Amino acid sequence: MFAWKLVLEAIGMLIYATFIGFIFMGIERKAMARIQRRIGPPIYQPIIDTLKLLGKKESVSHGFIYDFGPVFALGASITALLFIPMGNFQLFSNNADLIVVAYLLEVPMLGIMLGAMSSGNPYSGLGVQRGLLTMVAMQLPYGLAIIALVQHWGTFKLSQLVALQQLQGWSITVPALALAFIVFDIVFQALLGLEPFDIITAPAEISMGPMVEYGGKQAAILFTQHAIQLFAETAFFAVLFLGGASNLLDLFLKQLLVLFIAIFVASIYPRFTIDQAAKFFWKWPTIIGIVAVLLTM
Amino acid sequence: MNLLMVMLFAPLIAGFLAWLLDFKVIREVIGIIGASIPIGVLAYYYSTVTSESITYSLTVGGFTLGFHLTMLTWYFAVIASIVGIAMAFGMASTSKSSYDWLFALISFTGVLGVFLSSDFVGFFLFWELMTFGSFMMVLKRNRHESLKYFVLSIIGAYSMLVAIGIIYAKTGALDFNTVQKALRLDAMVGSISRGETALIYTLFLITFGVKAGAVPLHVWAPGAYSENDQSYTAFFSGALSKAGVYGFVLLYILMGAKLYTALGVFNNHLVFAYILAWIGAITVVVASFLAVLQEDIRKLFAYSSVGQVGYILLGLGIGTGLGFAGALFHVLSHAIFKSLFWLVTAAIILRTGKTRFEDLGGLAEKMPITFTMGLIAVLSLAGIPPMAGFASKWLLYEAAISAHMPLVAGAIFLGSGLAFAYVVRFLYAVWFGQRPSDLDDVKEAPLPLLIGMVILAIPNLVFGIAPGLVTGYFNRLFGDTIVGGNYFRLVTPTGTYNALLVTVILIFGLSIAGLIYIYGAKTRKIPVINTYQSGNPVTEEYNLSMRKNFYRPLAEALGFWLKYSWDRFYERLANLTEDFADWLREGFYNGNAQSYSWYLTIVLLILALWGVL
Repeated sequence: MFAWKLVLEAIGMLIYATFIGFIFMGIERKAMARIQRRIGPPIYQPIIDTLKLLGKKESVSHGFIYDFGPVFALGASITALLFIPMGNFQLFSNNADLIVVAYLLEVPMLGIMLGAMSSGNPYSGLGVQRGLLTMVAMQLPYGLAIIALVQHWGTFKLSQLVALQQLQGWSITVPALALAFIVFDIVFQALLGLEPFDIITAPAEISMGPMVEYGGKQAAILFTQHAIQLFAETAFFAVLFLGGASNLLDLFLKQLLVLFIAIFVASIYPRFTIDQAAKFFWKWPTIIGIVAVLLTM
Repeated sequence: MNLLMVMLFAPLIAGFLAWLLDFKVIREVIGIIGASIPIGVLAYYYSTVTSESITYSLTVGGFTLGFHLTMLTWYFAVIASIVGIAMAFGMASTSKSSYDWLFALISFTGVLGVFLSSDFVGFFLFWELMTFGSFMMVLKRNRHESLKYFVLSIIGAYSMLVAIGIIYAKTGALDFNTVQKALRLDAMVGSISRGETALIYTLFLITFGVKAGAVPLHVWAPGAYSENDQSYTAFFSGALSKAGVYGFVLLYILMGAKLYTALGVFNNHLVFAYILAWIGAITVVVASFLAVLQEDIRKLFAYSSVGQVGYILLGLGIGTGLGFAGALFHVLSHAIFKSLFWLVTAAIILRTGKTRFEDLGGLAEKMPITFTMGLIAVLSLAGIPPMAGFASKWLLYEAAISAHMPLVAGAIFLGSGLAFAYVVRFLYAVWFGQRPSDLDDVKEAPLPLLIGMVILAIPNLVFGIAPGLVTGYFNRLFGDTIVGGNYFRLVTPTGTYNALLVTVILIFGLSIAGLIYIYGAKTRKIPVINTYQSGNPVTEEYNLSMRKNFYRPLAEALGFWLKYSWDRFYERLANLTEDFADWLREGFYNGNAQSYSWYLTIVLLILALWGVL
């Protein structure tokens, strides 16, 4: 029997996530502007931008991989999204494993890199290099935070993680996992590509890095991908550390909380250079991560 | 003649025939036929081997060599044979020399012999045959690197010989069954002391560590893998390094109980396994960092091979059933994706004649099929679901974390981030960006090489989408359900991975994205150099792609650590030894008859004092 209900839920969730993701992007710009005492664009500005890009009459292409990159990135983001339990919508999360979702959340990066690399723009190349080095730098603390979490709860299944947290209290109420939370939050800043780890795009230095060549519908696809990715990553964070959610409103509030922490941190810090970021990640977050991991052993 | 022996010696005989009948097409055809016989025989034996193991013994010059085909050895032999066929197809394109065919196929037989032997005599003989074949392949191209490989292999071989000698002295047996029983009995009796057990373990650790390329015994690998015919390297790194892994598995089977009782446990981990896990973890991290910083395509993959075998050792070191399943699965996935990488490298080198990243670029348009194959290998190595590389890595993650080895698991995380970094570097520098003008007339790889690549690419996809095929085999091998689920779904006690579902949803996601793309505006193709340059138009003369020192910031961040190198340490040690030998030679063999007569007197005097005379 074909699971029509599940498919409808998935499509509904996709539309919801895209919309909320765009709103998150808008909130990010607006809040950042308010902190810097600007007025800022309206919250729905990213949607308008994307529609405008989609409405362009012609877009240029550097070849097949250049087009395939954004498509692959969006596809992978959608895949990751559908494996995360969203409040009362379980979607495919019965089959979701922490490691699988963590990997799926990294796949879009490869798509963007593929497209960026095939464009031949030196800024794109630099962006790729910076992106990968940030990833290498953050991977160890990121891994340690996840290991601490799994060691404490004893399961990799996201739906079980949520259920356990509903029963025994959120992850952050456990002292060792509170440390893991700090580490994960620092890494999260890099996952979202916000200051002080916005090394990948660095608008003032390398003109948005990997995205520099994109315009027209490919850029629209990348915008959509970013919206979904933002939604998926904040939801992933909420599921791991903030006890998941019982309904979408609950989830939305938690996502918003996570997002605002990220925005506040981002608006007061300047950008690290890559070697500074690497040295930073391999010092404090790693040490805290190791402590968290040993405490949960 | 037994079918098992046909399979074992077919490559060897084909190698000799190819060497004797050194004609252009005949040589290649004989080689390919010889290399494809093993997989045929193994396929024929599949249904038999799953119910009972097949044994055969061969008497040569007073020695009786025993062979056995069990579920475990079948698995290893199949991997070697798949890689072997791909190698043969690759060599048909890249190698024009009968010398290469002879020694490549000799080492093929050597590897199969190592896997099939059921006693230490055969194991050692075939081990040496394998080393000899691969050594001769390197010797032809680079004497210095071949000597490095040779010296380390000799150290490994002597260690093994001494270890076998001790085992023989203690148990009086050389065949695996008796040794296993004797050592298991001894685990309870304890007549072999703790020190002796540790010694045997260390000696085997050196032997198998050299072959598997574990840090700090890996230094031969980058040189030997790169100074070679790259099609052969596919086999060298894909199958030969697995002989070292098989050795470690054998160590578990033969000595596991004894090592456990003699060396004890630490923090709920078996000490001997824990050592192995840490060797693996260190290998993963060190080799992956070095791979990221390489400027030569062959060196990059050589270090990557070392690092990936580190994952396997790490998995074996975890010591749980899940760890074994992950490690054995990674043996398969590493063999198929890394050999695929080497064949792609072979194609690139064959068509361009260049190996350094700075000389390459923009080849994706010129070699689209090779590029696709390279991309499959990249996705598999980087562990993108649903590829074979992800399934095995996922098992390793689950195993390491649920066995409470957090820092070892951290090494897997770091290693996979680094793996991502170096494969993307390979993609960028070779396939994308501006093409150097001297590569404008590069052609697609020749057909046999492409066939070899396809042979390796298909398993990457099949075992990626249906990883249960492999884990199901493991369950029967262990006689226990280590990894549950069905063909498409893996279930461990703590987690689950449904490869087919991921595939389906990925296709669903891709089609939504694809619809947006297709119903979007028309596209116009523009050349690579037509890019945004802050208002400065680019002309053809400048190559703006970053080819050299791509990861320089990382090198800067790692500056302190890069000052130390095992390779340089060994080189210095070798130089010191050489100087010392020179000094000895010049001091003693000074051509003076008087000093020679003095030596004679001293020797006679010593003998007289000893009471010989």
